[in-house]
Amino acid sequence: MCRKWNLKTIKKTIRVKITKFKILIGIFFIVISSLFLLLKYYNKPHKDIRNLKADYVLNAQYLLNEFQQDEDSATKKYTNNIVQVKGQIFEISTLNGNSVITLKKQDSESSIICHLLPEDNINVLKLKKGQNVAIKGICTGFLLDVIMVRCVIDK
Amino acid sequence: MKTYYFLLLTILFLNQTFSQDKYFTKEGYISFFSHSRVEDIKAENNHVLSIIDTTGEIAVQLLMRSFLFKKALMQEHFNDNYIESHKYPKAKFKGIILNFKELDEEINETRIIGVLSIHGINKEISTKAIINFQNEEIIITGEFTVEVVDFNIKIPSVVINNIAKTILITFELRHKLYIK
Repeated sequence: MCRKWNLKTIKKTIRVKITKFKILIGIFFIVISSLFLLLKYYNKPHKDIRNLKADYVLNAQYLLNEFQQDEDSATKKYTNNIVQVKGQIFEISTLNGNSVITLKKQDSESSIICHLLPEDNINVLKLKKGQNVAIKGICTGFLLDVIMVRCVIDK
Repeated sequence: MKTYYFLLLTILFLNQTFSQDKYFTKEGYISFFSHSRVEDIKAENNHVLSIIDTTGEIAVQLLMRSFLFKKALMQEHFNDNYIESHKYPKAKFKGIILNFKELDEEINETRIIGVLSIHGINKEISTKAIINFQNEEIIITGEFTVEVVDFNIKIPSVVINNIAKTILITFELRHKLYIK
């Protein structure tokens, strides 16, 4: 190819090469940040129950009544939502390293079983049977009792 | 309420018909495990309800949303897309422990057969099980595999290599005497 190689064309060629390089770097950054965001989404954390507001704030007895009267609609309403229940502690136990608090009134057949997060084990030590407490967690439904998981003790 | 009555009726029916003791737990443990080249997935349920009577009949129920995963996204996909927990919130099993009345050692091996209901599909299964009689408890442990496709569970092609076709289910159910 016969090209006139003077200063003007050399400068133009360099400019074109730099622009192509810049575009390549740009694409490279876009790809890297997309991969980074994708990885972050893939590894997204569980809901931070302690710092999120409850979708429903109720008495233990009210929540039980809801499930006992109409299990299907109570399941649709409360399941997978953050629920804060206030009730009387019937029992505190442990299950594979996690604390489980059962809220129940003396004469009631059903209770609310709250499976606590391991980081809240230390707060459970301060609690006693018969004490009233507010627990926030994710409602998973009803078998013979209402079951809640990923719970924390609410102040 | 329906389920409550169903379970209560099952207990009362068994009671009237056989006048036998019933053993039960609300804290049964069931986990499932999927191994694939891309990743391993494990989920655990610590709130399994299980009732057995001394004829060997066993009834198990659990809530799908009580399965806890390490990865939040996995738990979300499991409930929203694969199991569709909003349509099928529970999994059930109704069956019989074979030769239950003849078991007389402290640790026995036998089989449990029955119908497993997940995602709206009923499937007959049969599994080996260890029945342990100790401290006035009846402890049933074992594991079996199920095929994902048998329960009409649709895995999107994007993640088809992340989830095994065969899932290993492990159970450990510690039953105590049911006192009315």
